[in-house]
Amino acid sequence: MSAETKEGAVGHQIVGKGGQPEREQPWIFRTYAGHTSARASNDLYRANLEKGQTGLSIAFDLPTQCGYDSDHPIARPEAGKVGVPINSIEDFHILFEQIPLEKMNTSMTINATAMWLLALYVGVARERGVDQSLLIGTTQNDIIKEYLARGTYIFPPEASMRMIAQMYEYCLEKIPNWNPSNICSYHLQEAGATPAQELAFALATAIGILDLIKERGKFTEEQFERSVGRISFFVNAGIRFIEETCKMRAFTELWDEFTADRFGVKNEKYRRFRYGVQVNSLGLTENQPENNAWRILLETLGVTLSRNARCRALQLPCWNEAMSLPRPWDQQWSLRLQQILAYETDLLEYPDIFDGSPVIRSKVDDLKKEARLEIGKILDMGGVRPAIESGYMKSALVQSMAERVRKINTGEMTVVGVNRWTEGIPSPLLSGNDGGLFKIDDASVKETIDALDKVRKNRDEKRARKALDVLRKAAREGLDMMEPSIECALARVTTGEWAGALREVFGEYRPATGIEGQHLGLENERVAAIRARIDRLVGELGRRPRIIVGKPGLDGHSNGAEVIAVSARHVGFDVIYSGIRLSPEEIVQSAVEEGADLIGVSVLSGSHLELARQIMNELRKAGAEKRINVVLGGIVPSGDFEALEKIGIKRIFTPADFGLADIMDQLVGLLEESPE
Amino acid sequence: MKEQVEKALAHDRYAVSKLISIFEDSRPEALGQRAEALALLERHPGRRSGTILGVTGAPGCGKSTLIGALALRMAELDPDISVAVLAVDPSSPKSGGALLGDRTRVRFPPDTQRLFFRSQATATELGGLGPGSFHVCRLMHLLFGAVFIETVGIGQSELDVRYLADRLYLVLQPLGGDEIQFMKAGIMEVPDAIILNKCDQGEAAQRSYHALKSSLTLARPFEPEPIPVYQVSGKTGEGIEGLARDMLDAARKPGAAGMAAKEDYFFAKWVRDEWGRMGTEFLSDQVGGPRGFLDRAKSFDAAQADFSSGVRAWLAKPRKGE
Ligand code: B12
Ligand SMILES: Nc1nc2c(ncn2[C@@H]2O[C@H](COP(=O)(O)OP(=O)(O)OP(=O)(O)O)[C@@H](O)[C@H]2O)c(=O)[nH]1
Ligand SMILES: [Mg+2]
Repeated sequence: MSAETKEGAVGHQIVGKGGQPEREQPWIFRTYAGHTSARASNDLYRANLEKGQTGLSIAFDLPTQCGYDSDHPIARPEAGKVGVPINSIEDFHILFEQIPLEKMNTSMTINATAMWLLALYVGVARERGVDQSLLIGTTQNDIIKEYLARGTYIFPPEASMRMIAQMYEYCLEKIPNWNPSNICSYHLQEAGATPAQELAFALATAIGILDLIKERGKFTEEQFERSVGRISFFVNAGIRFIEETCKMRAFTELWDEFTADRFGVKNEKYRRFRYGVQVNSLGLTENQPENNAWRILLETLGVTLSRNARCRALQLPCWNEAMSLPRPWDQQWSLRLQQILAYETDLLEYPDIFDGSPVIRSKVDDLKKEARLEIGKILDMGGVRPAIESGYMKSALVQSMAERVRKINTGEMTVVGVNRWTEGIPSPLLSGNDGGLFKIDDASVKETIDALDKVRKNRDEKRARKALDVLRKAAREGLDMMEPSIECALARVTTGEWAGALREVFGEYRPATGIEGQHLGLENERVAAIRARIDRLVGELGRRPRIIVGKPGLDGHSNGAEVIAVSARHVGFDVIYSGIRLSPEEIVQSAVEEGADLIGVSVLSGSHLELARQIMNELRKAGAEKRINVVLGGIVPSGDFEALEKIGIKRIFTPADFGLADIMDQLVGLLEESPE
Repeated sequence: MKEQVEKALAHDRYAVSKLISIFEDSRPEALGQRAEALALLERHPGRRSGTILGVTGAPGCGKSTLIGALALRMAELDPDISVAVLAVDPSSPKSGGALLGDRTRVRFPPDTQRLFFRSQATATELGGLGPGSFHVCRLMHLLFGAVFIETVGIGQSELDVRYLADRLYLVLQPLGGDEIQFMKAGIMEVPDAIILNKCDQGEAAQRSYHALKSSLTLARPFEPEPIPVYQVSGKTGEGIEGLARDMLDAARKPGAAGMAAKEDYFFAKWVRDEWGRMGTEFLSDQVGGPRGFLDRAKSFDAAQADFSSGVRAWLAKPRKGE
């Protein structure tokens, strides 16, 4: 085909009326926001809307995402930290105060508790007298990638997927402009996925949801087609931007093929691959953080250059990604990038600039082939559910992640400022009073918990109990849970109670950690030397040194802990890593029972001080604080080092410590200093 | 040590753990500490004499998940029972390190002191246990009413655990339903009971059950009564109660084989591993086998020390014709 397209482009630019180049509408500029409390977040949203932002993208805090009330012991350190805490419909009323629901496009990053948050949203609409069929928005609601990468799962796969299917069934006619779920490959890349894995795992997930909806048989054929049209995607774009452009084209083509061939969708409109993007953050560095600005720019090209595979919405991370949550200025700087690209450059004046390129074509074909093979493998296993339950998909990701880290360690993969050109002038961006970091007001938790107490005290207790009973019954008998959830919302049931009732019925799920059988292909003199030192320790101690790698609290960032666990075994430690979301008490219990020499804690959620304190307290209770050393890694601002050392943390590691041999060297050194 | 033993009998976690570490310690000075701890324990009125429940089976057949569920259920059914788990995982031959993954499958509530979990690595051992497994069981069975030992997932008939467990369970998972596959496992002759796990897997599980039943008669033709086969699911909890009751019964039975027979085997094994062919020769020809030697020494640990000095002296002696 020549460059002639539907839009009437001739040869090059799209020519509009009057011979002027006609610009395509730009994508939606999004900012992911929410923190501290419902009140503070409402202020933030209204400020953003006044600035011309058209939709809301809500970040919830981890307790809300994991189904706990803010005053639950495991929730306390996290409440309000990385998102807004929502305990009941009262919080939701505050969150949306003076925001017209019927006009708003609201996107919620919520998964295991997605049904609950949608129920609360519907509840607010009903109590305000807004027609619920006018609501527009998205619940992320992709549980598969939670098991694989993001970590805010609660229930086992079968029950979780059933809830997703029920939301499709509910929304299609009752909230027709709602996207019940948004399949995410974004998080997979952040957990190490290669482009082909990203394609395959995301598409297999979408296929899994549609297979289930079909199997449940609640839809007519026409309804089913429409529900296929409601599936949207959330994709990543990494620094290898040419390959990423090809990945986007592959996504578009593969989805069109699967929806046509496997699901027989006739209407082309419903086969379109609709997607939003957040560009890669895993590659953004703590070292020379100003370089991240360029990385973000280049990553943006991958999902904007190719018109036929251009994203519909884009949100960008910020230059200080590896250090803290962004400040408003940081977000503004990233937003400006989008505006410059869309309005200053000529990007939007052209039809697809890659059509007809043999280089691009063959790369797209290669990616499609590789992805199809992998999708075939997963379908042969019986689909995404068995592939999650057996740990297959998680292992594949951990392996890719370990491979990535190995390449950075050996220099096979260049990361400027990290393993090459590491000397530089200190960044002036870090020299402000705040050090370039964002800080949450810890006192705000009290306000949230007071509000929660009030709800519990003032509600009609009988109605709340009854609503929960109905919900439990529906869950047990496989009936619709959406209406019972809305009644719970109206009855002022709390987030923890809603999830608690379903925990009783479905149980809790702990997916595979994926680290079993993993190898780190890193063999060199340093590794050999560390092994020799560990062997010497074995002789001295009469046993092999043991490390417990622990992820306390609700933090789901597992990459670091996985890499450390695999590396520690690689150099000769006996290692215990039981996955994310354990209480400090459980981690210390493991260390005590297992006679461990070291506890290595990994915290990226910003709650390191509270969690370190809790771990040390538990150790003291067991009388083991002198014999078990504690080290900590993660997103730790250097301003907190001293406080952590005072608490008793022996070593601290941050993303700047990318050298695995250096880290292991320090751990062994610590044991050599203090045998017994 | 006395205080430590008292605390361990009260199931203080750290006290139990530190005692176990003494029984895993490979340094010679640990022998004396072990003997001391055992002497204190054996005289103590509060000591238990727990049954050792061996659990073996192929990798991934669900041993750990099952043990986790069983221990919890046993504790629920019997308010007095205390249960410990010793789970063995393979070490990397290259680095010597191990990923101790069994624990991942088990979650005991932190406030229940009656349940205890400890992981071990095989180090260089090949028989499915770790070098310290026997020693640790000698200790644990005095502290707990039931002691589970999970072997690494292997499929051979030469399983050390058969000499350690009072009752040995072989865990199988649904296969293609092919009888030959069960026979190939080769270890069908050894266990006291078979657990067919993952019975939540529907039809395949049912088919496997029947295949297993018929191949059992083939594998153990001389038995008057077929051994029990439990159909369970560690995942859904199906069948767990019945099996937990069976295990509680086993745990309540007094006078399980006792340690003596086990000591014989593990002493001979230790001699083989530590002193090689010459050691074995010395044991059988010069001192009249393990039992005699163990009887003369005051304890297993003392026997080890005595044997070492004995064999050293014997080896040093000039021999006729050399
Ligand atoms: C990848 C990533 C994710 C992935 C996680 C995938 C996974 N399975 O791990 C995804 C996309 C799922 C994700 C999600 C979220 N993320 Co995130 N994420 C990151 C990111 C980009 C990289 C982290 C990473 O994996 N690095 C690679 C690993 C190998 O490095 P590392 O963990 O730093 O570990 C190294 C060292 O620190 C050290 N180390 C670490 N731990 C330990 C432990 C021991 C014992 C030792 C010895 C050493 C050690 O050694 C490691 C090797 O070099 C960071 C920003 C950044 N660039 O660092 C944000 C970041 C951590 N995320 C953040 C947030 C807010 C979130 C969300 C909570 C957002 C939300 N509101 O929903 C969610 C929810 C996640 C959850 N359930 O908790 C914030 C945290 C803010 C804070 N602390 O104040 C960050 C800092 C981004 C930001 N600037 O806003 N995220
Ligand atoms: N369907 C099903 N899966 C199970 C069941 N029990 C365990 N599994 C799964 O089987 C896998 C292995 O379980 P484990 O308990 O680790 O098995 P194991 O025999 O201890 O494994 P190793 O110690 O590695 O040899 C995991 O993915 C479990 O989730 C069960 O009853 N039904
Ligand atoms: Mg196991």
